[in-house]
Amino acid sequence: MSILGAIATFLLAFVVGMTYGGIRRKVIARVQNRYGPPIYQNFIDAFKLFSKTTAVHHGAMHLLGPAFLMVSAVVALMIIPVLRDNIWFTNLNFKGDLIFLIYIMTFGPLGMALGAGQTGNPNSAIGVTRGLSQMVGFEIPWVMALVALMIKYNTTSVVDLMNVQNEVGQWLIFQNPFAFVAAILASLGMFRYAPFNIVGAPTELASGPASENGGKFLFTMMSAGSVFAFVKLTLLVDVFFGGASNLIELVIKTFLLYMIPVMYGVVNPRYRTEQAVTYFWGWPLLFGFLAIIYSVYF
Amino acid sequence: MNIIILILILFFLGAIITAFSGKISALVQDILFLIVLVVPAVLFFTGVDMNTESIITFSQAQLTFGMTPLSYYFSLIVMGLAVLAGFYTVGQMNGKKRKGYYYLNYILSIGAMFGILMSKDFISFFIFWEIMTWASYLIVIYNGKNVQKIGIKYFVMSAIGAYAMLMAIVLIHSITGSFLITDLISEYTGMTQGMQLLIPALLLIGFGVKAALMPLHIWAPDAYSNAPMSYTAIFSGALSKMGIYGMVIVFLSLLSKVPEGALIRDIVAWLAAITAAISTLWAIKQDDAKRLLAYSSIGQLGYIIIGVAIGTPMSIIAGLFLAFMHGVFKSALFMVVGAVEKQTGTTDLTEVTGLIRKMPWTFLAALISIIALAGIPPLGGFVGKWMLYESLILSDHFMLVILVFFSSTAAFLYCYKILFGFFLGQEEKEWAHVKEAPAIMIVPMVILSISSIVLGTYPQLILKPINAAMMSFGLPDTYGNLWKESILFNKWGNQIALAPIMYGIMLVFVIVTIFLFFRNRSRTRYVTTKDISTSGEIIKEHENLTFSRGFFQPFLRAVEPVMKRQIDKYMLSFAKGVEDLFEFTRRIYNGNGQTYAIYAMIFLIILLMFGKNLLG
Amino acid sequence: MDYGIYQDKLTRIVTDIARSHSLWILAYGTGCGAIEVPATMTSRYDAERLGVRGAATPRQADVLMITGYLTVKTLKRVIRVYEQMQDPKYVIGFGSCAVNGGMYWDSYNTIKQLDLYLPVDVYISGCMPRPEAVLEGFAKLQEQIRAGEARGATKYKDNLDYYRGNQKKIIKNWDFPDYNW
Repeated sequence: MSILGAIATFLLAFVVGMTYGGIRRKVIARVQNRYGPPIYQNFIDAFKLFSKTTAVHHGAMHLLGPAFLMVSAVVALMIIPVLRDNIWFTNLNFKGDLIFLIYIMTFGPLGMALGAGQTGNPNSAIGVTRGLSQMVGFEIPWVMALVALMIKYNTTSVVDLMNVQNEVGQWLIFQNPFAFVAAILASLGMFRYAPFNIVGAPTELASGPASENGGKFLFTMMSAGSVFAFVKLTLLVDVFFGGASNLIELVIKTFLLYMIPVMYGVVNPRYRTEQAVTYFWGWPLLFGFLAIIYSVYF
Repeated sequence: MNIIILILILFFLGAIITAFSGKISALVQDILFLIVLVVPAVLFFTGVDMNTESIITFSQAQLTFGMTPLSYYFSLIVMGLAVLAGFYTVGQMNGKKRKGYYYLNYILSIGAMFGILMSKDFISFFIFWEIMTWASYLIVIYNGKNVQKIGIKYFVMSAIGAYAMLMAIVLIHSITGSFLITDLISEYTGMTQGMQLLIPALLLIGFGVKAALMPLHIWAPDAYSNAPMSYTAIFSGALSKMGIYGMVIVFLSLLSKVPEGALIRDIVAWLAAITAAISTLWAIKQDDAKRLLAYSSIGQLGYIIIGVAIGTPMSIIAGLFLAFMHGVFKSALFMVVGAVEKQTGTTDLTEVTGLIRKMPWTFLAALISIIALAGIPPLGGFVGKWMLYESLILSDHFMLVILVFFSSTAAFLYCYKILFGFFLGQEEKEWAHVKEAPAIMIVPMVILSISSIVLGTYPQLILKPINAAMMSFGLPDTYGNLWKESILFNKWGNQIALAPIMYGIMLVFVIVTIFLFFRNRSRTRYVTTKDISTSGEIIKEHENLTFSRGFFQPFLRAVEPVMKRQIDKYMLSFAKGVEDLFEFTRRIYNGNGQTYAIYAMIFLIILLMFGKNLLG
Repeated sequence: MDYGIYQDKLTRIVTDIARSHSLWILAYGTGCGAIEVPATMTSRYDAERLGVRGAATPRQADVLMITGYLTVKTLKRVIRVYEQMQDPKYVIGFGSCAVNGGMYWDSYNTIKQLDLYLPVDVYISGCMPRPEAVLEGFAKLQEQIRAGEARGATKYKDNLDYYRGNQKKIIKNWDFPDYNW
């Protein structure tokens, strides 16, 4: 793993993630029949947040919370294969597998939750409990989809799943469409756009875990959030769409995949927490079962 | 005099001497207690090896003791926890009454566990099993509260298990003619099919009670939370592993040899998976930290039993590894709760908050143990869970993978609940006086936390004894092929490397920490939790902004249909039904002499009237 | 203005341009003028084109809008909220009540001159101001930020005694700490 490659990957994830956030705001604005902010608005927001001074902190855990989040985002980024066979972006690809990735992706939000907990604001604690409950909801169909693929192709590594699509000659979305449906429905919960955005609801909950974090803390949370979004999109592209061999293909594929949560969210109101949890245990769970049965018996 | 017998005599005599030395002074009692725990541990680790075997002969019976590789592995847990928890106990019991009674039963439990691990024949196994049961029963009722409900329930469940085991032992003796465990293993394949299924089933009932398998687990939540926390550290850390030890012997040497054994193994695996899932949901519901950890223990034991029951080499390694890690982090967590209880007087999560700045070492130990429990890399819990998932996927148990994943994700909820409830959140003025626990209680906690970090980076430290134990059962040598340094391979050749990742993590962590933490430290001011954005108001002293009631209420509402049925209620209604039956019988046998006289007269009349037809 | 590490002129210019294009308003309506703010944010007049967004808590917000009349009771909370915001921060006086007391100029309970208690950067007059006027107020604030003239926060810190004196004179039950940042 070379340092330059790691930095390049991180910059790629940061830039692409923030741009996608800006495009999302533009799409939402257009759907609502207005012009919206320019596409690079997220960068301006991030820069402004970075330049705010921080006056108070609530203790050591509060200062370390965003650091946990960033660490988890970066490690997850190092492990997923961004491009196929490219020396710049290989990083730690051979050292990770899906189970490790799933657990690393939960480490960050847990650290952030502890940091938000030390501030003492009850709103942050309520937001965290809602986020954790939703996570139990969407993890089940997500894991079922991945297990179905792991059984069929006898591997737990993302690189192998990406390469197996070359050998088979067909993308995995066509090999096991049920797994794709279950995974994409679960990823609606992972992105936390509407209708699953009760975690950080601005006026209902004073924005949940972010309520005491301004300035540089919020900058870290925003950047880690966009890196995470990039990680999830790239994971879905690698597993279901055969990966990407150059940057243009990666951007096109992730962008088209990203439009699914955005479009679904832009027209939907918000679910309550128990509605969100029981939603994930309805149709997505059924598709997960079908995916496993399909990969075992066909 | 053989060293095993010496250690056993040290334990039992030392227990009695410690109990009575309280009359001299409390300090002497504490020192004697520590000596009785430390000296046998030292003797064990230096003096005992695979070749020591000793036989005691009474007039008709022979008791055989010796060490096998599997029992060496489990005695690492028992002896290690005994020493660390012993130091913790001395600190926690400082100033409490009836210390002699407590120390006596504590040492007896440890000695009995050691005896179980060292026994090679069923009679000594059963003797020490019973000593362990009643020593732990006596400590469960140490507080004197709810003796009927909690103590009797524990004792009855243990008795059910013990009598099942006794039945199995008698059956074994009638078939094979001896009590030795090795004789049972060699004669097992020759038995009839009924016996081949019955004996392991009875033994599993006995072991399942201690290992808290559904539906035999109903004693565990009350018993774990009612005993003092320094005992629960070894109760849940080491004593439950005795059940696992027995189960490993049954599964590996008996049930894997016959094709019908697969049925029992699958049933046990499914029961364990359901245990894990449902007890995790119950743990989320609890408001008392002790009961939360008790239900969490039952869930983790479920993972271990799945690993052991499935039977492939990797799953057994996963189960045994998780058993060790569970002993390490769960006893650290119970010690944390005990320290909080000693300093604040209560363990109710809805009352205690905001202790992070007052008890920082306790928080650190709790944080590391919770991270290990949740299975987050690079700590030890992740290694065990990774191996468990791999083995379940490899052996085609897909539904079990889903249940284990569900339970593992739901575990994040109660992990956050216990950390937030005790240490984070608003700081209330009723806890402003709380200070850090005494050093003798902190050091064992910190040592256990460090070992869960070390075992995450270097799992080969205990993978080697596990491998030796498995080879003694005839399984292939996996150490050389599958584990190299701190890289784990699975059967498909995928690997995860833990050490380089951990250093990478630390590097990123340090960079970002320097960026946020130190650069701003001089410019930012520490404020208490009273200074939060509460719509422009100042929080007055009497206002309580702690969020701790109904902590996961939406989630619990969503899973309520599953939690409506409780095995506790079924067993109680069954017991009530039997009691009603006995009440009915009491009307016939009502102890009144005149009623018995009437029965005798009626019987004579019937004989006189119909006797000729009946007899003739 | 406490710029932290951004002391040299070039960084300051770039930073000010960034700050002017991303103004986050605290979602706090102090008086009846707040009814025009949602109208400005929604589709017809769309303040999000300028980068203006709502923020939930004072820790995340840049701009505090004093929309309409300000009673003494609200003034106490507004001062605490203002001091909880992080630097750099700006105040917009919205409506004629913020300018000179407006419709309530002879009331016993409202204040007439906002500038005695908080440093105001931009006033928007009107009762209420139409969304076009609000947008022009934002544009004015943006110009001021880019020219480096929006120094309300520094002025407040430097003249804290003056502002505190005025605040304590009118707020009888002052029980806040000396400063809240």
